[in-house]
Amino acid sequence: MKTFVLRRCVAMIFLVLGVSALAWLLMYLSPGDFLTPLKAQRDVSPQLIESLRHQFGLDRPWYIQYGRWLWNIVHGHFGESFSSKTPVIELLKLKLPNTLLLNLTSLMFAWVIAIPLGVLSAIYQDSIFDRISAFLAYAALSLPEFFLGLLAIYFAAQTGWFPIGGMTSIEYDFLSPWSQFWDKAYHLILPTIVLGIGGIASTMRLMRANFLENIRAEYVLTARAKGLPEGIVMFRHVLRNAINPFLSSVGYVFAGLFSGSLLVENVMNYPGIGQLLYQAIISKDMFLALGSVVMGSVVLILGNLVSDLLLAWSDPRIRLGN
Amino acid sequence: MGRRWIKTGFLRRNLAIPEEVDYALNYSVLRNLLITLGLLFIAGCTPPPKVNRPNLPILADHGVMEGIPGKPGGIFVETEPGEPNTFNWFISEDRTSADYIEIFFMPLVTLNPVTNQFEPVLAKSWEVLPDQKNFIFHLREGLQWSDGAPLTADDVVFSFQAVYDKRYPNRNADDLSDDDKPFIVTKINDTTVQIQTPNIFAPFLTKITDVCIMPKHSLDHFYQDGTLQKQWNRSTAQNNPNSIVVSGAYKIFSYHPGERIVLSPNPYYYKTDTAGVRLPYIDFLINKFVKDQNASVIAFASGLTDAEGISPDDVEWVRRSAKLHDFTIYDRGLSAASNFLWFNQNPGKDKDGKPFVDPIKLKWFQDIRFRQAVSYGIDRQGMVDGVLFGRGAPLWSGESPANVKWFNPNVKKYPYDPEKAKSLLAEAGFHFDGTILRDAGGHPVEIDLFTNKENQIRENMATVFQENMKTLGITIHLKFVDFNALIEKLSESYNYEASLLGLIGGFDPSDGISVYLSKGRLHQWYPNQPKPTTPWEARIDELMIAELRTLDESKRKEYYNEVQEIMSEQCAFIYLITSNSYSGLRNKWQNIQIPKLVYQPLTWNREQIWTP
Repeated sequence: MKTFVLRRCVAMIFLVLGVSALAWLLMYLSPGDFLTPLKAQRDVSPQLIESLRHQFGLDRPWYIQYGRWLWNIVHGHFGESFSSKTPVIELLKLKLPNTLLLNLTSLMFAWVIAIPLGVLSAIYQDSIFDRISAFLAYAALSLPEFFLGLLAIYFAAQTGWFPIGGMTSIEYDFLSPWSQFWDKAYHLILPTIVLGIGGIASTMRLMRANFLENIRAEYVLTARAKGLPEGIVMFRHVLRNAINPFLSSVGYVFAGLFSGSLLVENVMNYPGIGQLLYQAIISKDMFLALGSVVMGSVVLILGNLVSDLLLAWSDPRIRLGN
Repeated sequence: MGRRWIKTGFLRRNLAIPEEVDYALNYSVLRNLLITLGLLFIAGCTPPPKVNRPNLPILADHGVMEGIPGKPGGIFVETEPGEPNTFNWFISEDRTSADYIEIFFMPLVTLNPVTNQFEPVLAKSWEVLPDQKNFIFHLREGLQWSDGAPLTADDVVFSFQAVYDKRYPNRNADDLSDDDKPFIVTKINDTTVQIQTPNIFAPFLTKITDVCIMPKHSLDHFYQDGTLQKQWNRSTAQNNPNSIVVSGAYKIFSYHPGERIVLSPNPYYYKTDTAGVRLPYIDFLINKFVKDQNASVIAFASGLTDAEGISPDDVEWVRRSAKLHDFTIYDRGLSAASNFLWFNQNPGKDKDGKPFVDPIKLKWFQDIRFRQAVSYGIDRQGMVDGVLFGRGAPLWSGESPANVKWFNPNVKKYPYDPEKAKSLLAEAGFHFDGTILRDAGGHPVEIDLFTNKENQIRENMATVFQENMKTLGITIHLKFVDFNALIEKLSESYNYEASLLGLIGGFDPSDGISVYLSKGRLHQWYPNQPKPTTPWEARIDELMIAELRTLDESKRKEYYNEVQEIMSEQCAFIYLITSNSYSGLRNKWQNIQIPKLVYQPLTWNREQIWTP
C-alpha cells in the first residue's frame, strides 16, 4: 500500500511537471507577452517597458524562465501575479474556496438525485421509467455545461426567479449572517444544477449497472429464499453492496466536475478559480496562470488518488501492492 | 470496512426507508427553496443600515461644492467591465485600477471636465514663480486622512519620492519627468510645497492632476523595507479594507473578488456643501464587476444599475425601457477617440536584409498624392451610416471636436470624391487596366490591411474601406489578427503594409508627443526615426517641442493647430470617423453635470450626487 501511494506521488510530480511545462510553452508560443498591450499606449516609455521586462524576467529565454519558476515552486514560492504584484497563492486563496464549494454542492446534488434514480431504474429494469430516465441521462450527458449555463442565465433573466450569475447579491454586506448564508445558497442553486446535471447522468447509469449486477448475485437468491421481504432484500442487502464501489468513484466525479466548473464559472460570472485562470491567460499573467493550472492539476490528481485508496479500502478483494 | 462506514453514515438513515426517500427528498428541496425565496424577499426589502457618519469637526479650509445642497443617503449601483488589480498608485498600470485609485486619493489640483478649468483640491491655491519653472502649492489647513492622521506637505514629498525611486519602476515616473529628468519637490512648511520642473514644461499642471497623494504615515515603512509595490492589493482590500487609508470622498467598505466592491463615505473628506453638510451624500457606492459589455447594458436597461455607458448601436433598444425604469440616455456628442489607417513608410530592413515593405509598394506609400487619393476615396459618411447607424461624424485630424480646447476645425478635408481620387492617382503615374489600378511599372495595386479582431466596429470600418477602395481599382486584403500579434507587428517586426487602429484623445497636446515626434514610438508610419526624414515631419517636431516649452496657452494653441493642419495635409495617418457617445442615468439622481469628454465618467463628481 505504501509503495503504491509513494509511486503515485512520484508519478504526480512528473505529471504536474509535464502539465506546467506544456502550459508554459503554449503561453510562450502565442504572440506577445504581458507587456505588449503597454506598447500601444502613448505615455509609456520604452525604458519603462524594458525595466519591467527585466523585473518580471521576461527578457530571458523561456527555458530559463521556466526553470526559475520551477526552482521557486520547489521552494514553496508560487511567484507573484504581474498585474497585481500579489503573491499568486493569495489570489488563489481568495477564489479556490468558492470553486470547491460549488463542486461540493454539485457533487451532493448529483448524488442525491442520481442514487435513488439509479436504484429505481434498476429495480424496474426495462420499464417505461427506466427507458425515460435512460433517455434523459443520455440527453443530459450530451449537453455541454457552458451551453446549459447560458440557458440557465437566460432562464433566470426571463423569469426573474434566480439571480443572473454571481455568488452573492449586492445587499450581501448589509444582511444578517443567517440571511447571508441563504443568499449564498440562493445564488448557488443555478450553477449547482448546471454543473451537477452531467454528473447525475453518469452517476445514475453507474448506480443502475452496479445495482443490477448485485441483484443477480447469489446472496440475493439466498435472502429471498430465507423469505425476507423484497424491500429489505433490495435496500438492506443489494443497495449496500451496490453502493460500495460507487462511493470510491468520488474522485473521478470530482475531477470531471472540476474541469467543468472552469467553464461554468466564466459563463455564470461565478468568482472561482476558473475566472481567475481565464483572465490570467488572456492577459498573459504567466505565474498566475501557471499557479492556477498547477493547483487545478494537483486537486485532480489527489482526487484520483483518494478514489483509488477508497476503492482499495472498501473492497478487500483489491489489495494493491500485494 | 466499507460496511461500517455505511452503518454510521447519513446515507443509511435515508436509504433504509426506501419508500420515503424520493418523497422526503423532493419535499425538503422544495421546502428549502421556498424558505430561501421567502427569506430573500424579506432580505431584499430590508433597508441597508445607515452609514455611520461621525460628527467630526469640519476643517477651516474646507472646499465647498457648487450646486444644489442635497441630503445624505442612497445607494448608487454601477457595473465595471474590469476589476482593479491594485489600490496602490505606485504600481497601477491599467485603466480600471487607476479609476478606483483616483476615487480614493486626491491630487493637489484637478481639471474640471465640464468647465475645462483647473480647480483646487488638496491645494487651496498655487502660484507660478517668474522663471515659470517653479510652482508653489498651498495645502488646505487641517486636512486629514481617513484614519484621522494629518495630511501634510510630507505626504506630497513622499509621493514624489516613491514615484522616482529606481527600486520601484512605474509608469508615473515617466509622466512626471521632462527629458527624463524628475521634478524637484521641496517642502517649505507643513502646508507649502514647491515643485520645480527641469525646463519650462507646458503640461505641468495637467500632469499634477494625475498625481495621487499617498499617505506617508502608513506606507513609509514599506517604502523603506522595499515592499512598497506589494502593499494594498486585492487581498488587503478583502481582508482589511480599513488599512487602505484614503483622502477621497469614499473608502473601501468591502471587496468581493470577482464580484463587486462597495464604497462608503470617508468621514474626514475635506469638502462640504453650501449648507455646511460634509460630503459625500451617497451612503454606498456599489460597483459590480461585469466583464461582458452586453450583460452590463442589459443590467442597466432592466433597471438594475444607475448609470451606464452605451455604445451607439445599443442606444435604440435601451431607450425603449427608459420610461419604465425612469432613466434618460444622454447624447454626450462626439467622442474624443480617433480611428485612422496608415501605410507603412518604414524604409528599413530586417535582420536578414529584407526590406520591411516591398520597395515597389513603399514608393506608392511615400507619395503624398497616393495617400490623398485614398483619403478622397473613402466615403466617411457612408462609414458613419453603415457602421455607427449615423451616430458619428467624419474625422480630419487627430483631435475630434470633443476636445473643445485643442480642436482645430480649419484643417484640410477630404470629402468623398472618387473622380478627384482617380485624377490624383493618374497624376502620380497610376493607370487603369480594366477595373484594376496599376502603377507606372504595371504592378497591380494590392495592399494587406491589418487590424485587431476583438473590435467589431473596427472590423466593420475596415470592411467599408475595402469596398470603397474597389471603386479606385485598389484591392485590399483584410487581415484580422490578435491584438498582441498586431502590436508586435507594428512595433517590432514592422512587417506589414497598412493598418487600422484607434487612439483615445482629448488630452493635452503634449500627450501626443510619442505619436507626432518623428522619433516617437507611436509615430506608426515610420517610428523611432533617428532624424526626421521629411521636411514636414521636421516641422512637426519643431512645433511639438515649441508647444512644450511655453506656458502661454494661445501660443500652444497656435502651434498645435499647425500640427493638426500638417497631419491632415500629409495624410500619413488617414483619419476616418469618430462615434457619438451615450450614457444612461437614472433620473432620481441630482447634481449631475455631464462632461463632454467621454473618458470622464458621467459620475465624475460623485461626491455631490444625491437623491431625494
